[in-house]
Amino acid sequence: MKILIGISSKKYSEPTLDVGMRIASILKSSTTILDVGGKINEFSYKDVSIANELMESWDLDRPGVEVLEWAYNYLIREKYIEKNLNEIGFSKNLLVDKGNGRSEVFLKGVAVKNLSLILRNGDIIEELRDEVQSFEYDLTIIGGSGKRSMAHDLIQYIDSSIFVVNNFNLKQKYRILLAVDDSPGTSKVVKFGVRVAQAFNIEVDLITISKDGDFSEKFRIASSRAEKMMRRSGVTAKVKFSEGELVNTLVDIAGDNHIIIMGTSSQSALTKFFLGSKPLDVMESCNCPMLIVK
Amino acid sequence: MFGFSERSLTTILFWVTRKKWLILSFLLSISFFYFPTPDGLSSEGHRTLIIVLVALSLIVSETIPLPAVAILILIMEVVLGVDTPDGVASSFMSDAVFFIMGSLMLAVSIVHQGLDKRLALLVINITGNKTWRIVMGFVTISALLSSFIGEHTVGAMMLPVALALIRNAGLDTGKATKLSSVLLFSIAYGCAIGSIGTPSGGGRNAIMIGYLAEFGMAEISYLDWIKMTYPMLILEIPIVSLILWKTFTPSQKTMDSSVRKLKVQVAKTGKLNANQLMAIGIFILVFLGWIFFSPIFGLGIVALSGVFLYLSFGLINWKEINRNTNWGVILLFGSAISLGIQMKETGAALWVAGQTLTYLEIIFQDVEIVRWFVSVVVTGLLTNLLSSAATVAVLGPIVLDMGGNPVITGFMTSIASAFAYLTVVASPTCMIIHSTGLITSADYFKAGWKLFIISVILLLIISLFYWPLLSL
Repeated sequence: MKILIGISSKKYSEPTLDVGMRIASILKSSTTILDVGGKINEFSYKDVSIANELMESWDLDRPGVEVLEWAYNYLIREKYIEKNLNEIGFSKNLLVDKGNGRSEVFLKGVAVKNLSLILRNGDIIEELRDEVQSFEYDLTIIGGSGKRSMAHDLIQYIDSSIFVVNNFNLKQKYRILLAVDDSPGTSKVVKFGVRVAQAFNIEVDLITISKDGDFSEKFRIASSRAEKMMRRSGVTAKVKFSEGELVNTLVDIAGDNHIIIMGTSSQSALTKFFLGSKPLDVMESCNCPMLIVK
Repeated sequence: MFGFSERSLTTILFWVTRKKWLILSFLLSISFFYFPTPDGLSSEGHRTLIIVLVALSLIVSETIPLPAVAILILIMEVVLGVDTPDGVASSFMSDAVFFIMGSLMLAVSIVHQGLDKRLALLVINITGNKTWRIVMGFVTISALLSSFIGEHTVGAMMLPVALALIRNAGLDTGKATKLSSVLLFSIAYGCAIGSIGTPSGGGRNAIMIGYLAEFGMAEISYLDWIKMTYPMLILEIPIVSLILWKTFTPSQKTMDSSVRKLKVQVAKTGKLNANQLMAIGIFILVFLGWIFFSPIFGLGIVALSGVFLYLSFGLINWKEINRNTNWGVILLFGSAISLGIQMKETGAALWVAGQTLTYLEIIFQDVEIVRWFVSVVVTGLLTNLLSSAATVAVLGPIVLDMGGNPVITGFMTSIASAFAYLTVVASPTCMIIHSTGLITSADYFKAGWKLFIISVILLLIISLFYWPLLSL
């Protein structure tokens, strides 16, 4: 599995990096930490690039490098990368220009397979989409922005599963709230649920929601299979059936102490584009982290 | 759906959302094409205005790359029958484009010599260690240098000096403070006010000189330009310094240790080496060439002669120039000038000028005020959305057709296009300081609106009381 963790600043990105690295280490996955800097307009990008080169000759870091340095120090502190690199410390000389405004630092991971830090500039959605498409990531982990258009674009255009680390509190004791239904994608959602539960060592609430309270046989079988899979993986899970509208019910139960995990909408891309989708509505309304499995 | 896979459909939707301005421009241009041609406007003029609208919307929205906009302008000029392929090709290349190309290459050659550390020494030797004097020094040096070698070059060279001072002051160069704001804005705004000083201060100045000559209105020499604009530049230096100091007064009133550390750092680089001396010598030759030979050979050819010398003396190699020159901007300005010439030749500029005068006279009554409003206020605002050179390329032919003394109107337009105080995208220097992450978009307004208003008033005073004395 390949994981992409999007960070933006030292001030706001620690929860995202923490969540991302915990999951990455449980899955032993190949992991990339990406910082997307602001878009440089085309009239000026050569001038900015010349200014950046001059800054390096003054031993000044070009913008964005300090975020990578912070992420690097976090990885050292939490022992995600090898100790001998600790002695060398972060150096901007580690940054390799890969062309098209993309620079990369390769690191030797301890808990994860391959670990790299990437610096890009541009529109956040365009850069994330390009990175995910070019390097085929399975999961993108990013902080919450609170903007509907951002949530919409993430769900609509990013090809991987998406974990939005919304209002994540490192001291809070979370449970997972995993939405189960009879759709074919549920088994993948449950697998992700197992991995996240293992990463955080937390319990899971398997919830099945029906608008009219009619829980068909298919719903019950899906719920039972999910519970079985949890048990086999050593994860403690409780099964719940709730009557009500999916979005409101899920958001109400989640509160701020759950991590919501649900599958992506099975509607067509065109319908989702014009009418939105249930995952988008949940992401917009909820006050907690959320993982949408694609 | 429609035979597309979900993934393909998502890709198409993504493209549509990202390219909505391109699609909208395309639909609008088709609609305008089928509108009846307004009275007094030729059919070619009608089509030229369609191209102007498409080009402006694409430049502002940055939906497609700038070189693509440039190519689209040329294609539309031919396909819509505004001019023949040869006519478009000849209007695309002019001395103004040579000048823009030459000055961008000169900038790369100068930056390559590592003169930024010399510049740092010059600044701190002049200013000493009082912060307000350093701010004043930054504004002055940025303004004076950018009047000759272009603001983007000076901005790029001054940035590390400011950041080194901030770092030496013990502040985090990744965290915004009033000190970082005042120093960085003193570079950006210093460069902006400096760029009006000579024709080589900015591509837009060369474009305006080119239009005045091309349309048979006036021949402006390098020295004529300096006489017209330098007094305003000098007056603006203390004004900019004062406004910046009052807006972003830092808590550090002196920067003793910071300046001392910077001196030590710069001293390590030793004396000027032979290449640096040669580079300075060649630029002085170029400057003298602009003064004495540009009326004969043109500003562009003189600038290209400088590039030739830098390359011949091995002070820079072609690979470096090729890598760091923004060819897309050169293409775009070539196309924008071609479009400006077509606006003039098809009568589109005259028609827009006439319509503007008619409608604005309802509000302002006086034709002089209308002319001033369009050439100064509209240009000043547009330059904060587009780019200064693109603004002059498109607005130039219109304001020159609005009557009155074309030299006065032309100069007012060119100078107002330097009032790039309000947005990140207003000028390359604004973008350079923004790219540090220390300046937010909102910061530009804090001092920018005051400077914009004062600059407009100052330009008005200069144009009313000083320019008539020069009898140009």
